[in-house]
Parts: sequence; structure tokens; C-alpha cells
Amino acid sequence: MEEDEFFGEKTFQHCCAEFIRHSQQIGDGWEWRTLKDSSEGYMCKTHFQIKPETLMSHSGASACVQTCLPIEEALELPLDDSEVTETTTGSQVIKYEYHVLYSCSYQVPVLYFRASFLDGRPLALKDIWERIHECYKTRLLQEPWDTITQQEHPILGQPFFVLHPCKTDEFMTPVLKNSQKINRSVNYITSWLSVVGPVVGLNLPLSYARAASEDE
Amino acid sequence: MTDDKDVLRDVWFGRIPTCFTLYQDEITEREAEPYYLLLPRVSYLTLVTDKVKKHFQKVMRQEDISEIWFEYEGTPLKWHYPIGLLFDLLASSSALPWNITVHFKSFPEKDLLHCPSKDAIEAHFMSCVKEADALKHKSQVINEMQKKDHKQLWMGLQNDRFDQFWAINRKLMEYPAEENGFRYIPFRIYQTTTERPFIQKLFRPVAADGQLHTLGDLLKDVCPSAVAPEGREQNEPRLKTDSRSEQE
Repeated sequence: MEEDEFFGEKTFQHCCAEFIRHSQQIGDGWEWRTLKDSSEGYMCKTHFQIKPETLMSHSGASACVQTCLPIEEALELPLDDSEVTETTTGSQVIKYEYHVLYSCSYQVPVLYFRASFLDGRPLALKDIWERIHECYKTRLLQEPWDTITQQEHPILGQPFFVLHPCKTDEFMTPVLKNSQKINRSVNYITSWLSVVGPVVGLNLPLSYARAASEDE
Repeated sequence: MTDDKDVLRDVWFGRIPTCFTLYQDEITEREAEPYYLLLPRVSYLTLVTDKVKKHFQKVMRQEDISEIWFEYEGTPLKWHYPIGLLFDLLASSSALPWNITVHFKSFPEKDLLHCPSKDAIEAHFMSCVKEADALKHKSQVINEMQKKDHKQLWMGLQNDRFDQFWAINRKLMEYPAEENGFRYIPFRIYQTTTERPFIQKLFRPVAADGQLHTLGDLLKDVCPSAVAPEGREQNEPRLKTDSRSEQE
């Protein structure tokens, strides 16, 4: 429909295209999926994480250091004796899927995600919660705009977890206003995802920010 | 709105006669009789089936019971869809009563949302009301309401209280005198033939030339495959609308 809005669907798709272009340059794995017979689409990324068993069994401060390593890095770690016995079994590799969709009701992007073990068993929210870094847990509990609920993915029709979109423009507006003030262009998706992503285990390399300010 | 009161009441008090049968592989201590219930079209399965749950749990052992879920002819029923929608989508061409199968194990994680409590149903319902108001009024009406008004809306639905519900909902169905309608019409179109669960798009109630849009205009615009082209005899799919706070 009409694009009289601040962040309409066309702008969303444009920002995603720029974002994915950079993702392809650095091999970050984001893809665009279009819907059949439609101009609509969404962005998605899948990644796998290993959690070394030993760290989970410690109590105290060390347990808070959630070393969720990407597979490539984990395999490069020198294994000491205690870790050698805890071989990474299938049950400790977790597949995360992240989808960025556009909400025409709120006119903002929305982050959908789910996680499962390799055998297909889905992780419950509390399992995902445990794997989030401590500093984000505090923020999640304090900031109501970061509420996570389980909802039906509007395109796939399957259960996903969602970061609630209704307060997105509250924290995005100052970012965008400031970028106008200092006359430096910003990619809405890059800025938004860099804020909400880490809360659910999704990190953006800094090069995205440099790429955004170069795009005109 | 007052002229439509009869229609609003008919929609609110719509019921579907349903027969609940326990899944044959559930472990019971004695035979489970089917349970009959009139389900409100405008409500949600997990909100109105406490008696169904109690009835079947009476013949089962605690250790054989986990989260309840419902299924119709092999399709898990999404509790977060209104009951009337589920029936119209899946069973409207079958004879009554609607035959639903009750399960207490093997929850289909990939298909259904969990429903841990009544609070989860309330949160889902309010989230739908809020999203609809974002479309109708840029969220102004819902955000100006007090928490107790939100609560009254929910309690009205939960306790089947038409007047209690509409005392609040009527504010969500108003628009300023100078406007011809809402900003956008909150609607979703469900079809069994499509992959995506529903169609939802921005759609204004008034055209650029000031003419009021009709339901036919909306369908032609967002779901043209469902509408017969001009001047051709064709089997038109029956259209059912479930008017609650989201739709006229």
C-alpha cells in the first residue's frame, strides 16, 4: 500500500538488501527469502553453536561466562584433559535460526528466532535464556521493550520466539535523528539489529557499521 | 454501532456443538466417555476447555498427563486462533457435532505454541487487540486506556460478558467525526489452500476519491484468487468473518 510512513516496507527491503550485500562480502550468512507470487520477503540466517560441557557444570562465577563459540573457533581450542573427556556430542550442538520480518502494523522490523538440537528437538525459552550472556539478561529484565514471547511465524506458520516490536521506534528514533544531525547515513536494519541481536545471541561484526556509513 | 447491536450479539453468542474424544493411545485406568460442549466462536480452546481437561484427567494417572492439546482429523489445532476460525477453516463442511480429539502427550512442538497458563492466553489476546489498534488508531486509543480497561476487555471475553466487553471495545471501534473510518482496516484472511498461515496487508477503508471501500474491494486487492472475475459464473468460496474487536 502507500508508503507515507517513516519506515515503510520498501525502505525495509532496501535496507535489508544493503545489509545482505555486506553480509555476502564478509561471509556472515544472511540471505533473503521471497514469498511465492509476491514482492514480500524476509531476511534469515542460520548458525550453529557448540557449548563445551565442562563449563556448564561449574557453579559460581565461571558459569556466567557463557562461551558459546562458533564451531570453527571451538575446534581450534587446545583441549586440556577435562575437556577431552567431554566430546561434543550431537546434543550439545545447537542450531539457531534468525529471521528478520517486516511488521506492517507497527511499521518496524521484527526479529523472530528459534533454536534446536541437531536431532530436531526444539529448545524451550528457558534453555535459550540460559545461553544468553549475563549482562543482557539484566537488560532484558529491566527493559520492557525487550519482551520475548513465543508466537506463530506469520509466513511459516511455525512457533518462533519473538522480540516484541511495539517499542522499537522508541529506541530507533533517537538513533536516526542523531544520524541526520551529524549528517552520516545509517542503515536502519544494521542499527536495529546491533541493538536487539546480542540479546538473543546474535552478534554483528563492526564492519557492518562502516559499510552502512559508506552506503549513500 | 448501536444499529448493529443485534449483529454484534449474534456474533458474540455464536456456538459450535463439539464432541471431545480422548486419543485412543492415551493410557487410561478405565474407559473415557466423550465429552460434549458448546464452544463459543469468539473464544480460545484453552480458555474454555477446563471441564474437558478435568473430565479426561479423572480416568488417567498423573504421570501420564502433560500439556493438553487438541487435534481434528490429524491436524493439531492452534489454540491461539479463535474457535470459530478453526471450525470454519477445517470442519465447516462436515456434519455436526465437531469431533475433536484430545491429547495429553507428545505435544507437537513444531506446530503448536505452548499454552502454559491463562495468562498466556490473555497476553496473546491483548497483543492482537493492540496490533489491531496500531492499525486503526496508531495505538492512541489502546494506549490511552487504563490497565483496568484492558483487564475488563479480557474479563469480558473470559467470562462471556457481552456488555462488559463492549463497554470498552466500543471505544476501540470509534473514529473521529472528521474521518471516514479507521486509518487501516485490521483484517486477516485465512485459507487452507495457502502455505502462509494468513494474509495481512495495509488497507485503507476509503479510496483516494473518497469512496468507501467494500469487502469485495479488499478481497480483489489482497486476495484476487478468491474472487471471481467480472461476469463469470464460478464457485465462489464462502466468506465468513469473525467480527470481534478487530473487524467490523
